[in-house]
Amino acid sequence: MRTYILRRLLQIVPTILMITLVVFLMMRSVPGDPVVALLGEAYTEESATQVRQEYGLDQPVLVQYFIWLGKLVQGDWGRSILSGRPVLKDVLVRLPVTLELIVLSMAVALAIAIPAAIVGALRQNTWADYTATTVALVGVSIPEFFIGVLLLLVFSFGLGGLLPSSGWVYLPGTCPTIVCSASLWGNMHHVLMPAFALGVGRAAILTRLLRASMLEVIRTEYVTTARAKGLAERPVVFKHALKNALIPTVTVMGLQVGFLIGGAIVVETLFAMPGLGTFGIDAIIGRDYQQVQGFALITAIAFVVMNLLVDLTYTFLDPRIRYA
Amino acid sequence: MRSRRLLLVLLTALFGLATVSSDVAQAQGPKRGGTLRVSYGNDIANLDFHTASGYEMMWVAMNVGCGLVNITPDGKFVGDAAESWSMSPDGLLYTFKLRKNVLFHDGTKMDAAAVKFSIDRLMNPETKSAMRPFYGPVQSVEVVDPHTVQVRLKHPYAFFLHMLAGYRTGLVIYHPGATQKHTLQDRQQGKPEALPGCGPFRLVEWVKGSHLVMDRFDKYFVPGRPHLDRVMIRTIKDPVTEMAAFKAGEIDFIASFSPEHVDTLKAQNPRAQIMTGKETTPMVFQMKVTVPKDGKPHSKDRAPHPIFHDIRVRKAVGCFGIDRKEIVKIAFKGQATPWVGMNPPGTLDTVDVNHLCPYDQAKAKALLAEAGYGPSKPLTFELMTSTEKSVFNVIATVIKEQMARIGVTANIRLVDKVTWMNHALEDGPFDAHVEDLLSLLTLDSNPFLSAAGARWNQSRHTDTKINDYYARYARELDPAKRKAVAKELVEYAADKLYWNTISGSPFYMVAQPWVKGYTYNAEFEVHWDPVWLDK
Repeated sequence: MRTYILRRLLQIVPTILMITLVVFLMMRSVPGDPVVALLGEAYTEESATQVRQEYGLDQPVLVQYFIWLGKLVQGDWGRSILSGRPVLKDVLVRLPVTLELIVLSMAVALAIAIPAAIVGALRQNTWADYTATTVALVGVSIPEFFIGVLLLLVFSFGLGGLLPSSGWVYLPGTCPTIVCSASLWGNMHHVLMPAFALGVGRAAILTRLLRASMLEVIRTEYVTTARAKGLAERPVVFKHALKNALIPTVTVMGLQVGFLIGGAIVVETLFAMPGLGTFGIDAIIGRDYQQVQGFALITAIAFVVMNLLVDLTYTFLDPRIRYA
Repeated sequence: MRSRRLLLVLLTALFGLATVSSDVAQAQGPKRGGTLRVSYGNDIANLDFHTASGYEMMWVAMNVGCGLVNITPDGKFVGDAAESWSMSPDGLLYTFKLRKNVLFHDGTKMDAAAVKFSIDRLMNPETKSAMRPFYGPVQSVEVVDPHTVQVRLKHPYAFFLHMLAGYRTGLVIYHPGATQKHTLQDRQQGKPEALPGCGPFRLVEWVKGSHLVMDRFDKYFVPGRPHLDRVMIRTIKDPVTEMAAFKAGEIDFIASFSPEHVDTLKAQNPRAQIMTGKETTPMVFQMKVTVPKDGKPHSKDRAPHPIFHDIRVRKAVGCFGIDRKEIVKIAFKGQATPWVGMNPPGTLDTVDVNHLCPYDQAKAKALLAEAGYGPSKPLTFELMTSTEKSVFNVIATVIKEQMARIGVTANIRLVDKVTWMNHALEDGPFDAHVEDLLSLLTLDSNPFLSAAGARWNQSRHTDTKINDYYARYARELDPAKRKAVAKELVEYAADKLYWNTISGSPFYMVAQPWVKGYTYNAEFEVHWDPVWLDK
């Protein structure tokens, strides 16, 4: 197991390097010059040349990449071209917000998907099943921003500000800035709508997948055996059927992290949350190369680590799986 | 029946009490304390006040920093760090007497040396300040004594005080010691110790994309000001979210509200204070007159633009072919003024030249035919606009439709702000574009976007007569004569279509009913020190 984890961790390195290189090259090929945005009306050829030298933008693209990489291995993620702020510092300030959003939206997704899929599978072709599959289809079809706007209109606009429309309250003890609010209640208030907006689409996908998987598993011989030997329905469903049906779902959950990061950009912008999503989109729009690299790096790390964790979860779900 | 009457009496008494207590609160004057929660629609670029761009930064600079003078909405100058000032009869020497009680936020005194340091710094090409061109007329700055500073000009400059007060940030006085001790990056990232201003609020923290916090500076030179303990700025980019936050009372003040949502906000919040004034920002549809002959942006060697170098085509497309009233009706729901002149109706010395460009399809078609365009040789051009504001796209779409009416095809090219800047401002390849770039306090603040040879000259015309008009206008000290020059300049620019305004671009600020004491002065002066919260 240890060897497996070590091997996987080593595999992560070239994956992340490849992602950052692709992002680096893509950003350089996008039209638009961050120096123009930085200097604004003060732009002259001379001042632009000077700024490009300061940030190494006058070097060939691959040289720039290796300079960035060289600094990275020393723990220097670079500085924002536009704001002068250290990228790592900004990433660390914003990471907890997005991490919490992603974890909770996945929790929302599972909280909806598991019961819906079980009901759908156990009562196949009944109104309960049709309802679950129809809701899942609707959930898949509605984009996050639309659900977000609807939630805003109902809970912030319509119900007299029942839930806050924007901003962020940190969990107690996690405040990364000098001035910030922290409370469990406030945090839950702020994260509820964004997590729901982001989680509903994922719930729909997971429901459909888990339902199909459950249908397959509940027809297997070991489930029939479990029922035949007189086991109550609850342990049959939850201990024998669900646990095995979850394996493909868990695989997809790992892959869904990527979609959640993408969705976080939309949801964080809509709810004005100071997370990595808004950080990433602002960086891309402003052509802030250093920040884009920081965003790509952290999301790549999050994605591959999450998939490693998913792989490790298999051993819990199916004891026959052993990693060597 | 009796109990109902009693209830009525009680309710009336309660209402009366509430009204009286509200009046009493007003009469008692400003209350001290509280946090003003401000919402910005765009993020702050960075916090080096001398070099950063964007109004979001400027509104912070005006509250953290102090200058020499400010300007009121009716155009009067009021002292900021300067308690008085005078101009020599020849208009070449300005003497400013500074208040003696002005302190920087680190407790050191703000004096004439700091003023000289700041102006010299802005004039230094190494600083890379966009304010530098405005200091072109300044010959030198001299410290007479710690509380007197003199600015000597190369030639009379009628708008020197306007420039100090309200061109971009106006003059923001920097702390010489802190500026020399800290790096540009320290200031850009908003380290409070690198930016000790002499304004009413001291910077506490800026977390890009999250919040900016300023606290009351207790030793501010105006006694009793500021009233607020704190100003907290957050960025909310989505107008729907911004409206929801406002309705729920999560924010007190929206610093710039999108015009297309004003009606909705009014309907949702009947007691909200919606502040606006005469438009000062021109919404433009600029056509490129020349292109670099060698293909290199900003090349002095110019070639005619293949389409719009021909004045007949410019007039057909940008003048007679554009129905400005329709654009205003659709894009701004009628809440803007159709306008042709370079400086919109809210700008000093504005000139109405709308009669020069009446909507006339027949005339437009005739001019196009004269220029050789018609069914056998249809005119097609690319209309670029940016995604920064949704209204740009709407205007471009209406123009496209209007062009179709005169047999012209306008292909819309929608780009993000940075790409737009690279093309429209940096002499990149484009035919025409729609934007509203800058608010004009005076016509004099516009040469950097419209003079021949100016780096950001929108149409890239090469007509130096425009520059001569600007020079005459800026140097004329007699207001009546100056107004006459303005008229000549605006008429000339409109006739040649070197500058093509469509309308004013309305600007809105919104405040909760409990926000008191704020004086609306468009984008030019945003001061929160007189603000107090009545709640």
